[in-house]
Amino acid sequence: MNENPAVGVWAQIGRQSQGAPLSVAHVCAAVVAGVRVDGAGVTMMASPTARDTVHATDRVAGELEEWQLAYGEGPCMDAFAAGGPVLIVDLGSPDCSARWPAFTPAALDSGAQAVFALPLQIGAIRLGVLDLYRSRPGPLTPPELADALAYADTAGMLLLDGAASTPPDTADLAWQRDDPTAHHAQVHQATGMILAQLGISADAAFARLRAYAFAFDRRMGDVASDVVARRLRFEFDPSPAGHDEM
Amino acid sequence: MSERVVAEAFVELADTLVDDFDVVDFLYQVTVRCAQVLDVSAAGVLLTDQRGALRVVAASTEQIRLLELLQLQTDLGPCPECFHTGRPIAVGDLSAATSRWPRFAAEARQSGFASVYALPMRLRTDIIGALNLFGTQPDALDEDTIRLGQALADVATIGLLQARTIRHRETLAEQLQTALNSRIVIEQAKGVIAERRQLDMDQAFTLLRGAARASNRRLSELARTVVDGSETL
Repeated sequence: MNENPAVGVWAQIGRQSQGAPLSVAHVCAAVVAGVRVDGAGVTMMASPTARDTVHATDRVAGELEEWQLAYGEGPCMDAFAAGGPVLIVDLGSPDCSARWPAFTPAALDSGAQAVFALPLQIGAIRLGVLDLYRSRPGPLTPPELADALAYADTAGMLLLDGAASTPPDTADLAWQRDDPTAHHAQVHQATGMILAQLGISADAAFARLRAYAFAFDRRMGDVASDVVARRLRFEFDPSPAGHDEM
Repeated sequence: MSERVVAEAFVELADTLVDDFDVVDFLYQVTVRCAQVLDVSAAGVLLTDQRGALRVVAASTEQIRLLELLQLQTDLGPCPECFHTGRPIAVGDLSAATSRWPRFAAEARQSGFASVYALPMRLRTDIIGALNLFGTQPDALDEDTIRLGQALADVATIGLLQARTIRHRETLAEQLQTALNSRIVIEQAKGVIAERRQLDMDQAFTLLRGAARASNRRLSELARTVVDGSETL
């Protein structure tokens, strides 16, 4: 039986953060240690105009992020737009030059020969991309892919917290990691309902749902089921204290 | 179930493999066709998330009870068993399955189901998911129907891969993750529509699909615009 990859991933991240508040830098360092890649970078993409590299572990990773932003093309851009990973095993293959004529030679020049771009997203909530590179061509093994996806999840949650201007809370993230209902359909349906109830963005709605569940020590799926069944509504309260739930 | 109905089902499914192909919409149609053609009460498709879990991607009905039965199968149930062994699972009498899958069997029976089947979705040596079928009668499917069900599962697999040349394992990995995320977009859109129009999820989904067809848009693309606010339905 496979051990839940998130457990090993979490241990690796913990080794990097050493008890300090979690940051994207810790996650990037952890994925490099845990997945056998040579470097990692995270670019946040709140909108086509608001794009910024949040962290890069080394020169090559930094340049990869730069080339993608400068040229507006690359596996990172495609992954973000398509809503799914772009896994390039060999940047030297002719497909890549055809697909990204400006990015590919620049990336090869920088020293990357394999690139794995993982979008940081929850459905239509698009936060950015985690890019991993290798200086030699070669694929991620299935267990490495599983781990990479788990690291991407954590990086995504950190960006979400960053967007909500709340300091990343390790306990909050750990609690969500262990919530088996976090991926249930009701959670996403409830996100949509809360978005409409409060007139906020999808990422803010998801953050609200998560915060409510954490505050009341309930599973996200259970809170979401209440929202979907209309037993729980999120109403806007203009007072400085914030939003009311009833 | 006449041969003509079966043939029509395959033709219709083949017709969906065109340029504006939407994988989640396609899998939804597979489940609906399964329910009709195989004469079962409910059908669902679960795909691997590539990190040890199965996730629901399509269901023939929005009824909560089906969704819960599909989501329940994290470790124990016909789908995980099918997925891990690569073999079809056929349980003609759920009352005999209570020690095999205690919680699943109890909840399935409570929901009114008497038999359950899980058929593997396979690409060469990889099992990528399972087609889950539920009957309200014991032994809802006979051997011939199970074979037909497997053919529909194979159609679902082929559709998922969209006739792209699957030379590399990476393409499959990319497609699976994209499909899973597309499903989430659609769930989010259902929520927005359900709240704005005061509908249930079933009605919201019908409205969304109808709007996609009417405007000749891909279901998940339209869903995305509903959620990010660039369009209002």
